[in-house]
Amino acid sequence: MTTYIIRRLLYTIPIVSGVLLLTFCLFNIVGGDMSIEYAGKNADAETIAEIRHEYGWDKPLFLSWDSQFIDHFKNALTFDFGRARDRELVSDKIKRGIGPSLALTVPMFLGVLIISVSLALVVAFVRGTKLDVLVVVICIAGMSIPYLSFIMFGQYFFAYKLGWFPVFFSPELSIPEYVTLPVLIGIAAGLGGNLRFYRTVMLDEMRSDYVRTAFAKGLNARRVLFKHVLKNAMIPIITRVVLAIPFLFLGSLLLERFFGIPGLGYLMVEAIGSRDYFVINAMTYISAILFVLFNLVTDVCYALVDPRVSFE
Amino acid sequence: MTCRNSVILFLCLLAVGGCGKRSSKSSDEMVLNHALYTKITTLDPGQSRDVYSHNVISQICETLYQYHFLKRPYEIVPLLSEDMPQISDDKLTYTIRIKNGVMFADDKCFPQGKGRELRAEDFVYAIKRVANIKYLSQNWAMFDNRIVGLDEFREYTKSCKSEEEVDYSQEVEGLKAVDDRTIVVKLKRPWPQFIATALADSVTSPIAKEATDYYGKDIVSHPVGTGPYVLKQWRRGSYVELARNPNFRGELYPSEGEPGDAEAGYLDDAGRMMPFADKVVWTIIEEYQPAWFLFLQGKLDASVIPKDSYSEVFAETGEMTPKMKQLNIQLKTFVDPSTFWVGFNMQDPVLGKNKPLRLAISRAIDRQKFIDIFFNGRHLVAHGFVPPLMDSYDPNISQRGYAKYDPNEARELLKEAEAVHGGKIPTLKLAVPGTDSFSRQMGQFLQRQIEDIGLELELDFMDWPTYQEKVNTRSAQMFTAGVSASITDAEDFLGLFYSKNWAPGSNKFNYANPAFDEMYETVTIMFDSPERRKLYREMEIMVLEDCPAAFLNHRVAYVLIHNWYKNYKPHAFAFGMSKYRRVDLQEREAYKELLKKVK
Repeated sequence: MTTYIIRRLLYTIPIVSGVLLLTFCLFNIVGGDMSIEYAGKNADAETIAEIRHEYGWDKPLFLSWDSQFIDHFKNALTFDFGRARDRELVSDKIKRGIGPSLALTVPMFLGVLIISVSLALVVAFVRGTKLDVLVVVICIAGMSIPYLSFIMFGQYFFAYKLGWFPVFFSPELSIPEYVTLPVLIGIAAGLGGNLRFYRTVMLDEMRSDYVRTAFAKGLNARRVLFKHVLKNAMIPIITRVVLAIPFLFLGSLLLERFFGIPGLGYLMVEAIGSRDYFVINAMTYISAILFVLFNLVTDVCYALVDPRVSFE
Repeated sequence: MTCRNSVILFLCLLAVGGCGKRSSKSSDEMVLNHALYTKITTLDPGQSRDVYSHNVISQICETLYQYHFLKRPYEIVPLLSEDMPQISDDKLTYTIRIKNGVMFADDKCFPQGKGRELRAEDFVYAIKRVANIKYLSQNWAMFDNRIVGLDEFREYTKSCKSEEEVDYSQEVEGLKAVDDRTIVVKLKRPWPQFIATALADSVTSPIAKEATDYYGKDIVSHPVGTGPYVLKQWRRGSYVELARNPNFRGELYPSEGEPGDAEAGYLDDAGRMMPFADKVVWTIIEEYQPAWFLFLQGKLDASVIPKDSYSEVFAETGEMTPKMKQLNIQLKTFVDPSTFWVGFNMQDPVLGKNKPLRLAISRAIDRQKFIDIFFNGRHLVAHGFVPPLMDSYDPNISQRGYAKYDPNEARELLKEAEAVHGGKIPTLKLAVPGTDSFSRQMGQFLQRQIEDIGLELELDFMDWPTYQEKVNTRSAQMFTAGVSASITDAEDFLGLFYSKNWAPGSNKFNYANPAFDEMYETVTIMFDSPERRKLYREMEIMVLEDCPAAFLNHRVAYVLIHNWYKNYKPHAFAFGMSKYRRVDLQEREAYKELLKKVK
């Protein structure tokens, strides 16, 4: 297992290098000259040239020890992301945003997971009944409603009309106060698709011989569902769940924007809109590393839950 | 993990941070609650160029001069200066005395954390800092080739390796602190807008060198000023909180304004010491829905009217709805000195040499319909580019018919245009900044109007940086744009057509007219007079005749305020206004009950 993990960790080097090369090419070659944009309106040529010099954009792209790509590589490896366009340290921005983002996405993620897996087991057990049909119809309806509509309705009805939750972030509010409604909206919006997926997974398992055997041996439904079916359905669940974890770091743009949650989703989109290369680069790099690591975690988990999978 | 454990974990995560709940505001504290509709980027006056950052900075950092809060037409009055400057006969030397006893706010950057007295050299340092090329200020264009010796100082800074290495003790002949309270500025040529453009702008706010030395690059989030408020907390992208500056010398609320001010209650606080509010909080809310709900809940003192909430505010008759009246919400309107247009790139081979084509496009646009659809009929049709609030605005300009909507004439002009072009006009391309639904709808409206006369128009929606790059590199054929004035002088608007300002300068039309240029060079050194206003108007007509743009609309701002929000007199150049505002705490408290009844 250790050899396998080391080998997989070594694989991350070319993958992360590829990501670095890609982001470098996207921003420094395809993206064009950012110094004009950074200089603002009515800037003179001298100021633009000075900006190029300040950010090192006047250096050769590749073919030099002091090239822009080497700098880019070096900064990424040392996690020195520099200063954003507004001159704040990128690392400070990320540190500040990660808490609110995770406070929003982690409960949302767990809520969706727990509710949808549990319900999926139940509806798979009662498949073909009116309840099953009803749940499927609700799921499809939920999937058909745009995410934005969930947010706008939830904010209007529960926060403004009923006044149960705050409409927007405020410094006086604690994290649970300002994330509860967005979390609930996120769960409601995410439930449809997830429940349908897990229902399909569970149905596949429910048709297996071992389930019939278990019932024939006299095991009760709860034991069959939660001990046997759930365990055997873990592979697709792990794939979906573990690979989703790195994206929790990226926050949720729309929820953050509508509820004023100062998280990383918002930061990333703002950075894209204003071509804040430094922020986008840092976020992409961190996401890539997390994605590669969680891919490895997924593979390890496969072997842990399913003895048929080996580390060979 | 069992289901039960997962639920417990979920609840625990929700509870994270619960311990860190902040204490709520005490009810007798006067807090101004504002919304900012976009993020602020800096609190460093030398770097700030956008109105939102300016708005916050101006409460912390003062300027030598400010606009009078109540008087109209707008009048500039001293703020940190004792009086208006003494200007030499040749209009080149300005001598300014600063007020005695003005203190910087207490800050860690000063010895023992105690703010020191403001000195003339703090202004000199602020301007030199903008001139320092290593500082990369976006404001240098304001001073370029204006002050004797300042361009040479900028040249010197090019030889320095970094911002920190620049020696600010190097003398600039035209920018001196002759003693602790006197500043002398020598200009290279007369600059009639010097006071309004530079000395009343945050960019020249005094900077304590101790602060920049102490904070270095982090000065962007540590403003140290002399104003009525100090920065208490700035959570970037989220909110800004200011608290009273205990070192503020105090300022009296104006005792005179324009006729009608007393009746409107704007003089109720005349002669009282400002600021009134203990705290100012700006919440950054980029979506209109939550901002609107917060306003209706009474958590914001004022709000713009979101396009989709217009019918909630106004009845069919144009009056405010009974709900708004019941909630005692008041409407304030004012003409914002701004102009928006569809610009033509005059260096484009198809458009640039084809005046009938440009005129045809201009005649094809129904501006009133455009305003009705996109701004609920609230804006004004732009018959020229100088907005109504400007000193030189020609009240009869509408009679000249430059904004006429006449599709038949447009079709005739198109025939002429095809003759000039030597065949069918190829598909034109309009660059639109923004990919949101509003930008798309606006683009589609213009496309339909222009295509109605027989032209083909392709829309090119893009993000703001891409748009800027396209326009600045003169590669956009047509583009939508607009500008808002920062002073009452229309010189800024005229500069948009001066050939030496071609893109990436402010002349994004790349328009060139030698006769216009000659007049522009004459008027830029003329002080306000009937003669100059006449020249301004002639220059505007000259541009309108050449039609480098189809001017569309002037914005009219509609602002709703709660009845507890006092001294809200609309101001087109509204910077540093929080000190005037007052909140009637009893009325604010009573609103909660009122809201329950209305709901």
